Amino acid sequence: MKRKNEYIGLWCLLLVAFAVVAGASAFEPVMVGDFEIKTSGITSRLTREPLVESKDTLPVTPAVVEKHEIDSAAQRILIIGDSMLEGLNPRLAAYAEANGHTLNSVIWYSSTTAYWGCCDTLTVYMRKFKPTFVFISLGANELFVSDIAAKREDMLKYFLAQLGDTPYLWIGPPNWKPDTGINDMIARNVPAGCYFKSDGMHFDRAKDGAHPTHASAALWMDSIARWMPLHGAHPILLDNPGELKARPASVTVLQPLKSPLPPRHRKK
Amino acid sequence: METIGHNIIELLSHDPKSPMLFSSGLFWALFLVFLPVYALLKRRLWQMLLFVTAFSLYFYYKSSGIFFLLLTATSLLDWTLSKLLVELEAKWQRKACVWISVICSLGILGYFKYANFFLWNWNSMVEGNFQPLDIILPVGISFYTFQSISYIVDVYKGRVAPTETWLEYVFFLSFFPALVAGPIVRADYFIPQIRENRRASIDETFAGLWLIIIGVIKKALIADYISQYNDLIFLSPTGYSGFESLMGVMGYTMQIYCDFSGYSDMAIGLALIMGFRLTPNFNFPYKSLNVTEFWRRWHISLSTWLRDYIYIPLGGNRKGTARTYLNNFLTMLIGGLWHGAAWKFVFWGALHGAGLAVHKACRPWLDRLPRNRFITFLSWTVTMVFVSLLWVFFRAESWTDSWLIIRNIFTNFQPECIIPFFETRWLWVTMMAVIIIAHALPEGTWDRAGEWYVRAPWVVKLILFIIVVQLVIQFMSEEVSPFIYFQF
Repeated sequence: MKRKNEYIGLWCLLLVAFAVVAGASAFEPVMVGDFEIKTSGITSRLTREPLVESKDTLPVTPAVVEKHEIDSAAQRILIIGDSMLEGLNPRLAAYAEANGHTLNSVIWYSSTTAYWGCCDTLTVYMRKFKPTFVFISLGANELFVSDIAAKREDMLKYFLAQLGDTPYLWIGPPNWKPDTGINDMIARNVPAGCYFKSDGMHFDRAKDGAHPTHASAALWMDSIARWMPLHGAHPILLDNPGELKARPASVTVLQPLKSPLPPRHRKK
Repeated sequence: METIGHNIIELLSHDPKSPMLFSSGLFWALFLVFLPVYALLKRRLWQMLLFVTAFSLYFYYKSSGIFFLLLTATSLLDWTLSKLLVELEAKWQRKACVWISVICSLGILGYFKYANFFLWNWNSMVEGNFQPLDIILPVGISFYTFQSISYIVDVYKGRVAPTETWLEYVFFLSFFPALVAGPIVRADYFIPQIRENRRASIDETFAGLWLIIIGVIKKALIADYISQYNDLIFLSPTGYSGFESLMGVMGYTMQIYCDFSGYSDMAIGLALIMGFRLTPNFNFPYKSLNVTEFWRRWHISLSTWLRDYIYIPLGGNRKGTARTYLNNFLTMLIGGLWHGAAWKFVFWGALHGAGLAVHKACRPWLDRLPRNRFITFLSWTVTMVFVSLLWVFFRAESWTDSWLIIRNIFTNFQPECIIPFFETRWLWVTMMAVIIIAHALPEGTWDRAGEWYVRAPWVVKLILFIIVVQLVIQFMSEEVSPFIYFQF
């Protein structure tokens, strides 16, 4: 008698299960009431358009940035970002005070581009403070996110869109280790002269090994102030203040999210 | 269709950022193709060997790219030397063959894994301006290097005859279920199975599937999920209360177990489906009552390898008490270094070695203690605290981070964090509770569960499998954590 093949049962089981899981991904998102049943994404992975590298799609960033005139008007400055603001705030406030600007600060602890890009928090503070210039210090909490462009580039774009036409400068994260792509992702998405890359600078670090010490953060801010008139797309008056530090007009503190990101964050 | 074809080719190509894990959809799809071909060729030994070896080398290529050629070259050298070895009469010539093979294997491992480490240390001593070499570590090199050493030594000692053909040897060395993360397959156990070419029974194929399911739950569901919180603690040692740090340490203790033992379960299950038996790699290690028992239950294939190829050749326990302790210590020191090119791994291994020596020294006294529940509980607690604290040094980025976390636990506990922690991280707590309870269950329970699954109707097996896969997809962490033992 011919022996039954040992593998038929197992193979059929694996095949049917695969068909079910792959088939379900053709109907994503699958919602049961408010609950989203996640799918494997097999269908979208197979059918997504491949990234074509051509001259047309490369970021159009001029190698040499045109030098801009310094805007000497008094500014309403808003600085938003993660805990790195603790170090930057006092020195930036001193600059603001010495140069006739007003500084408002919004610190969202542990925040990332995903936090800011999944909600309208920035819009709320743009309306509240009506800034004429915005500093952004974000990225330190996502230095090691794998495949970051696929996961967060859309959110970064949504976040930047909330700035509208307001000129801004993104202060890159002070890397303490090589990142997995956050610096490249930011550089790719902001216009020339709007991104100060901090990676590669030397910092004296606090005990946690990540945050620059207050003294080092002040020097960091000084470097930014020196860089802006030479390379910034919209340099504002930031003459060196006599005082080492000052207090912003207001500091708003937002606590870290205690639950996963809100539904808007989830990929469609 | 063109887009789909392009995407499939892209998926099948080498991508160092996404090595092929057994728990990935890609592997599942490939295994669906592999299985019927394997079933057809199983009766024809040489065709089967050729097919599986080709698949294994592709599997390795997917994770390590061109380095599959290195594996092939290593296997060719080992096999040639093993054949030469049995032909030679003079002892020194036979020894020379072993040394050439071992030096080549360790040289390759040393270059890829330890070159930067040694250069960094050298430059620290001479205060040089160190620029790390641009070296990519081939996946699983530590595992197959140990397999290759055990093979040549076993041939020399006469414990195993060299394989007749190179194909059999490269099949052994590249056998994909155990290739990238073990268990470390021993030649004397595995090579006889190749010629035996035993067919798996239907029950064994489903027993293999059951092991895969258990492995997927441990690795892709629990370890990957709980790692998200643990990573936060180790990334920012002073950013959390002592209680939260303690939870992070406990979390990592369970994460590394689930991650590694889960992957081993999958490997053993896959091999069983193919009709091959691999030795168990974990045996409920956190039930251990002392550190000696822990190493008999944790990463068994490594600890037995270290025992047979380092501890015993060093003299084992045959050269007096003091030498026994020293041998224990040195063996674990090497075991620590095997885990990674960093002083933290050496320190971790050294402390485990010291723990083994202390336990051996105290054994006469410990054996006189009454065997009651209190003593059992005390022994278990001391062992778990020791093992868990050492995991901190294993996981943390630096010594400073390790001490900060430990100090935080003892000096900044903040009990007021306990209730909010359970409220906000209830899913993490649930996962931890599930794995702790599952681990604490009597060992026979899992054997019975496996038997139940094998006997269950086909539809029940299918539904259970789909449920597990869906759970993995549902809980898939946003940032997928790489398999912890991949780089070892």
